[in-house]
Amino acid sequence: MSAVSGAEAHPKRSRGRPSASPRARLARLAATGLVGALLAGCGSTAHGDTGGGSNGGSPKGVLTIAMVAAFSGPDSIDGIAEAAGCYPAARLINQAGGVMGHKIQCTAVDTRGDPADAIPAVEKLLATTPGLVAVIGPESGTANALIPIVTKAHIPLITNDGLANTDHSTNPYYWRNYPADDVGGVALALWAHKMGLDNGALFFDNSVNAQGSVPALLATYQRLGGHVVANLAVAPDGTSYGTEISKLLAAHPQVVFTETDPQTDATAFANLMTLGKPVPIYGTNATVIPQWLKAVAKVLGPTNMATYYRGVEPYAPPDGATRVFNKALLASSSQVPQPSQWLGQEYATAPYDAAVIFSLAMDSAHSTSPSVLNSHILKVTAPGTGKTIVTTYAQGVAALKAGKSIQYVGADGPTVFNRWHNSTGEFEVVQYLPNGQLKIVGLISAAQLAHAQGG
Amino acid sequence: MSSFLLYVGFGLVSASILCISAIGFTLQFGISNLFNLAFGSTMTAGAFVAYIANSNGLNIWPSLVLGAAGAALLSLFISRTIYAPFKGRVKSLFTLIMVTLGVGIILQYTMEAIWGANNVSYNMAVGRSVHVAGMIFTSTQLVVIGIAAAVSLAMHSLLKYTRVGKAMRAIAVNERLARNCGISVRRVTDYTWLLSGALSGLAGGALVMDVQILNFGTGDGFLILIVAAAVLGGIGSPYGAMLGALIIGVSSEVAAGFINPAFKTVTAFIVLGLVLLVRPTGVVSSIASAKEVAR
Repeated sequence: MSAVSGAEAHPKRSRGRPSASPRARLARLAATGLVGALLAGCGSTAHGDTGGGSNGGSPKGVLTIAMVAAFSGPDSIDGIAEAAGCYPAARLINQAGGVMGHKIQCTAVDTRGDPADAIPAVEKLLATTPGLVAVIGPESGTANALIPIVTKAHIPLITNDGLANTDHSTNPYYWRNYPADDVGGVALALWAHKMGLDNGALFFDNSVNAQGSVPALLATYQRLGGHVVANLAVAPDGTSYGTEISKLLAAHPQVVFTETDPQTDATAFANLMTLGKPVPIYGTNATVIPQWLKAVAKVLGPTNMATYYRGVEPYAPPDGATRVFNKALLASSSQVPQPSQWLGQEYATAPYDAAVIFSLAMDSAHSTSPSVLNSHILKVTAPGTGKTIVTTYAQGVAALKAGKSIQYVGADGPTVFNRWHNSTGEFEVVQYLPNGQLKIVGLISAAQLAHAQGG
Repeated sequence: MSSFLLYVGFGLVSASILCISAIGFTLQFGISNLFNLAFGSTMTAGAFVAYIANSNGLNIWPSLVLGAAGAALLSLFISRTIYAPFKGRVKSLFTLIMVTLGVGIILQYTMEAIWGANNVSYNMAVGRSVHVAGMIFTSTQLVVIGIAAAVSLAMHSLLKYTRVGKAMRAIAVNERLARNCGISVRRVTDYTWLLSGALSGLAGGALVMDVQILNFGTGDGFLILIVAAAVLGGIGSPYGAMLGALIIGVSSEVAAGFINPAFKTVTAFIVLGLVLLVRPTGVVSSIASAKEVAR
């Protein structure tokens, strides 16, 4: 609005004040524009470069790694697990001086496990986070909806979704450092066959997450000579599964494969204890979480739990990298509630490794541009002759500064992405001891998995 | 035959929890004309009160009583401070339903803010297995069935033999006439909210004892079955709620056993649909007819 029209619109303001000359008005406008331009420039620098190119300027802004997962609602365990990984990683990265002097922060984006809530949340993230460099997540329930949105913005994401439809992804910005659900199903079948348990029953809830393992489990189990005596897909959170369990027991299974939420399996196995004695229970990685283990151990009893339950999950070697993660996790108790429940847990070590990989990729690229760091993810994770193996961010940065090429081997072990940007690794079989600890009782190698899948 | 009895037994356990909660739900509608979608959250709140007491060393049974008392007070508070003022200003049933939905969501996420997304459970033994006439229960489940039976009997006695109960019945049929006859509608309404709130807390505790787990969404997951039982039996009628709970609890388990477990919840709503097709006001239709519901 011009000063003339301003004077006309606000006649009171113009009283007693001499009107400004056109030259003075022009000078004020120019000054305003200059100040505005300076502020805009300072703002983009302070929040870090997201548009491309290296950012060697100062001041050093904060770089954001978004944790896209359910942080509320029935799937909130996904978000809690991501936080248990990202916050310790950010702590260690910042203690080592950050990424080229930039601090790393982890920002939670709550999908509530529902695409209808997730899409606007992620769109808001992309529109209002100038220092966004990467995404950890999303989870299976929202992955199909969110992956195209995030990667269209040329933001790389490392996810632990279990969807089989991304086993052969050609999306250059999509990375998965956690095996898909179908690989978990193969591992379950392999272990049951190894134990000589060739009459199996399935007790899975009917959610997308849980059913992801079923086709590969069925196919592999039967290919290995197993007989599926019952296959139950149940609605979760019922008041009773006595009917289902009685049908299952009537089929005389030697093993029950399962994946449901803690409440469903706790109710079902309480019914199992009422109807008879327990049978071997083999659970997917979704059962190897503190909430499920405690809930089911309570109804089975600690001795039965140790005797009959086995969990099959991606292998996390209990070595130096895991110890570093564990220590950083415990130091992050102000951000991660009850951190001790996530010690060495795959659901937490996978996002931890993801955050470190992103950060090392930026150091390798000498750039905080998401599209540039994306092209260095393979460089810092793939094995190769002459590469220096590093197990922490600090080691990685030091090696890069010394001009070396590195392979990051983190708390999850080596992250070896195949040509579809999937890293499956090995699987471990765990027993839940009466003292509440997990003990590894077996390993399933990547070669065995590949062979069982017909690869 | 033996399988049938087995499934009926499982259905009786579900029906018992449904019965306690559906009576409370339908009482609220009968007296206040309010379809209270916050009922599930009140159940959860009562269950959490019981959890607090139990986790501090109190035996589960007195903890349940405390849970019922806590839910009763919460229900009365919500009724007095939120529902009553809205009812005075708003006549649309739909608007009032949305208010109850909002209250339920606020309650639910307040509980999440307090207790987080973690699961908790009561300190109690599951109970030994007991075989009764071809059915199998745990001793705890038998107690829950006993509680449901006792609640049903107590409700019958209250409605039939006490002045408060008769006043409740009168208000449920015609509030204006009841007021003109000298019944203190406000006081009886308060008693009803206390009673129905207590039933919601009791049902919440019983539900957690059955499913072994409590989290901020426990009661809300059960709400749809409560509504189905109340509507099937005839909304506003406690006797209808008892019958509706029994029909839904048993039929869904039997269907799961003989057809497919995936049809468990579907069966409940197929039965509901069929009953409403024949009797739109539910099996026991007196209150619903008087309120001209489902004309």
